Amino acid sequence: MMLLAGTVPLKDLPLIAGEVRAEQGFLVADGHRIPCTQGTGAMISAALAVTDYLKLDRPRIVIAGDVGQGEGSRSIYEYLIQRMPELSAKVLTLHYCLPDMALTKRLCEVVVSCEEKPVMIADAASMYAAKAAGLAVEFDIFAPDATEMAFLADSDATHPAYIARHLFDTDITETPKLVTAAYQHQNAAKLLLVKGAIDYVVRDGEILTTITEPNIPELEAIGGTGDTITGLASAFVYAGLELHEASIIAAKANRMAGKFAQATPATKVRQIINHFPAVFEEHLCQWSGVCYIEGGN
Amino acid sequence: MKDLKRKKKASFEGGGLVIFREVQEAMKAEKVLKGADYKVKLVAPPPQLRKGCDLALEVNLVEQLGLERLFKEKDIEYVDITPLKLETSELLNIVKVTDFGDWVMVKAGNMKITFDKNDGMIVNTSGGGCPDIPHLHAEMIGKKLTEAPRPRDIGFTLCALMLDRALEEGIDIWQGGRQS
Repeated sequence: MMLLAGTVPLKDLPLIAGEVRAEQGFLVADGHRIPCTQGTGAMISAALAVTDYLKLDRPRIVIAGDVGQGEGSRSIYEYLIQRMPELSAKVLTLHYCLPDMALTKRLCEVVVSCEEKPVMIADAASMYAAKAAGLAVEFDIFAPDATEMAFLADSDATHPAYIARHLFDTDITETPKLVTAAYQHQNAAKLLLVKGAIDYVVRDGEILTTITEPNIPELEAIGGTGDTITGLASAFVYAGLELHEASIIAAKANRMAGKFAQATPATKVRQIINHFPAVFEEHLCQWSGVCYIEGGN
Repeated sequence: MKDLKRKKKASFEGGGLVIFREVQEAMKAEKVLKGADYKVKLVAPPPQLRKGCDLALEVNLVEQLGLERLFKEKDIEYVDITPLKLETSELLNIVKVTDFGDWVMVKAGNMKITFDKNDGMIVNTSGGGCPDIPHLHAEMIGKKLTEAPRPRDIGFTLCALMLDRALEEGIDIWQGGRQS
């Protein structure tokens, strides 16, 4: 099972744990309609696009409404802390939440004690909490953007708003320096998928490859296009690809969907997501060797 | 003798510190924040952070914006809200601007706002990872820079604070562009 967890911007939405499907531009879970906009919604939508295309089991989700006060975030952490051992997840992706270092520590302790440890992926504030709590090395994939990469490189920062100025000023081409610093301070996951004008795929401190084409600079302005990469990478890992393969294909597919959508800075992430099936149809077989999977897994 | 086990208190590490001049003010703040469901802990600040008192509140740093607003509402005086780690105690205060032709993207810290040069309409916000950010995204898109709700007013986190800075800069750029 692939388990995707994070908050959604619906204030009164209770904790929902279970199945999800896409329907008419929304996610539907437990009778609730969740917008496929920036954040956890975009991440889940992208993962769903992969599982539906490859005919895999759909992801299970753990979501709760939270507009910044933290109640929904805490309910997600508590649910996962209580239930992870029995869920037998193969992949666990943690996404938007109010960062809580103590709860992240408790969750990591539980996950490590699972009979079979899931692949652990973190992005957004779940990644901030994991780094700030000194737990980065427990994770398999972090998916930072360029500023968040500077945050991982700054050994003392507990949030990207507090990174040292000289690191913020670093150009994307200097990401290798930030990568080195992050690994030196043990503030990086086993694999980093750094999202930006140049996407970097880094394993244990070694830059395996960069992805620059197609070059769609407008994607940076579109809220949710980093979230979709995380959803894609999660689903490709679940499909059985190696972490680095999944990350490379996720980065390529996101760029290509931007191209297909003829993205401008005013494009919405939903319009990018709509193009994933066509991107997979045209490129996935060539990129991955995964041309069709019979049944689910 | 019966071994009375104390219920272990849930641990809390917030990464941020509120510094007060008066001990009483720190205690008042603790009561107000707990009443509003914030997780806080009264602590002694490290010596280098002592600014006239010896009592501080450990808070979740990411909730800085909501804390500041509540302090203002409840008339609580404080000296500073700062990370526990000193070397990074300054909030990032530089912005980067990207010109996309018909649109301008303004980036403050990890947050970006993009608007239409012609009418000042916000077409996208991006970046960040805290739960108020998707909410702000939904609330701000399709509104003019000058008419959109301020993240400072309806957000709760450091990400919202940075988005507010980006918005402020965007307003300056747009109004400057109109005047020239």
